[in-house]
Amino acid sequence: MSRLNLSAEESVGHPGIGHLVRSEVLKIRSTRLWWALLLGAILLVMVQAGFTAAFEGQDQGFGETSVLPSGDSPELVRTVYTQGFFAGYIFALILGITGLTGEYRYQTITPTFLVAPKRYPIVVAKIVAHLFFGVLYGVACTAAAIVAGGIVLVAKGFDFGLTAEGVPRALATSVLAMALWTIFGIGVGTLIKNQIAAILVGVAVAYIVEPLLGLVLSVLEIEAVGKYLPTAASTGLFESFSYGQSLLAWWQGGLVLIAYACLFALLGVLLSVRRDIT
Amino acid sequence: MPREGVPIDIVGLTKRFGPVLAVNDISFHVEPGRVTGFLGPNGAGKTTTLRCVLGLVTPTAGTATIGGRHYRDLPDPVGTVGAALEAASFHPGRSARNHLKAMTHGAGVPDARIDEVLDIVSLAEVGDRRAGTYSMGMRQRLGLAAALLGDPPVLVLDEPANGLDPAGIAWLRGFLRDLAGEGRTVLISSHVLSEVQQTVEDVLILANGRLIRQGLLHDLEDPATRGVLVRTPTPERLRDALWEEGMTESGSSDAMIRVTGSPPAAVGAAAFKHGVELHELYTEPSDLERTFLELTTEEAQA
Repeated sequence: MSRLNLSAEESVGHPGIGHLVRSEVLKIRSTRLWWALLLGAILLVMVQAGFTAAFEGQDQGFGETSVLPSGDSPELVRTVYTQGFFAGYIFALILGITGLTGEYRYQTITPTFLVAPKRYPIVVAKIVAHLFFGVLYGVACTAAAIVAGGIVLVAKGFDFGLTAEGVPRALATSVLAMALWTIFGIGVGTLIKNQIAAILVGVAVAYIVEPLLGLVLSVLEIEAVGKYLPTAASTGLFESFSYGQSLLAWWQGGLVLIAYACLFALLGVLLSVRRDIT
Repeated sequence: MPREGVPIDIVGLTKRFGPVLAVNDISFHVEPGRVTGFLGPNGAGKTTTLRCVLGLVTPTAGTATIGGRHYRDLPDPVGTVGAALEAASFHPGRSARNHLKAMTHGAGVPDARIDEVLDIVSLAEVGDRRAGTYSMGMRQRLGLAAALLGDPPVLVLDEPANGLDPAGIAWLRGFLRDLAGEGRTVLISSHVLSEVQQTVEDVLILANGRLIRQGLLHDLEDPATRGVLVRTPTPERLRDALWEEGMTESGSSDAMIRVTGSPPAAVGAAAFKHGVELHELYTEPSDLERTFLELTTEEAQA
């Protein structure tokens, strides 16, 4: 039984946040979900960016406010390249949701909380690890949007436009916004422990509830509220095409997203700390 | 190996889930250096109690401490308590090695320890396979490997023999006894008495959230308290024979004569000597076995 014992210099350490971040990164890395989601995101981004570039200057079919700017306008270029975010953020959201709900689903939450019984360091470590993967998703999706959208733009006789007005900032901020959406996912996963339900609710809110809410608010002529919704705030942050919806200034949009992320992070910490794990 | 023992203490522990009183005011002490069996039928509250010990469930009342501290307040939880709760707390798509690595990374345990524990539970060769491909017995052993990562003085194992084949149970028995022999505190739960009967020294029996028996297995199984049951077509002749041999009859029923304080061989010899025909002769189950049988029968009827 002597093999059971660690030698003195290898004594077990107190779990620090750096250790826990490494552990959380390994958890994401060691299953196939993260790259399957990323692959799906990249494919969707390429299609959506390509089509957005192809339809430059054309009516999207909803009347006056749905006419895309022409290919030589910086707004169109920003819109095409931030499809990396607009087609990809749902995948970042799902990655974040599964970061917590996956642990409940497979009961790995038990060993996870046994390692760090105060629990809040786990939530913090999950947020840091997911921010890291969110940035990775953001870079990959934005690169995919530039490749697919840029090729179409160039084929139509326009410039790549990477240095056009506001484009570099839109590229950088769409990467960061993507990372923040993983934290929204962790928040959703804290509120709804069931993985399938959490993903359905998360996707439904982002794709159906928010646009409808925006529509209702604009019909009621209280658009001042609609522009604070997360996707609208992201559109404002990138200064991309908004189908006539009024937007926040880019820095306001960024602050609103950060505020949402802080709210979700706080929720994640508070709700996880005392919950019974049965 | 000299090491300072770390006991587990439960005082007035109560846990209510909504209308369900899962654990009802139980108190006990788990000694280092021994294997303690925490027994009871399914749904008795064993797992809830263990989860309170491990800080996963917050008690409604009372305390559960390890060496005088709550699990959440342990400075080095993984190096103090090793726990295995469900046999399936693994992501099916993650390899066993990565499952353990996520824990060693988090706890700051050196990665070299992973090979050591995989070796101890004989999973070294399949450590890179995804845990979803493991059999029930392999999952149990992976859980045990995870519990051993921090080389802890306290082990808390929920139904560790579940899903193991007889050879696996025999191995587990020797392994747990060795761990206790090194001065560790070993608390294992089971709903099958025979799985742990040859492993544990101390016994706690839980039923419907209450602790109904506790003590040394040896005392609860004491042969001196077990009667010998005899069936004969001529009970009066057997009674005479027993009286002449100075044996005590007590608690007989119409069908069986119950002899106390004499081993079955002596009862048989007495009957033979006096020419009494016997149809059946056996030692009745121990108090522990009877208690357990009653509990599980109640459970089956409920």
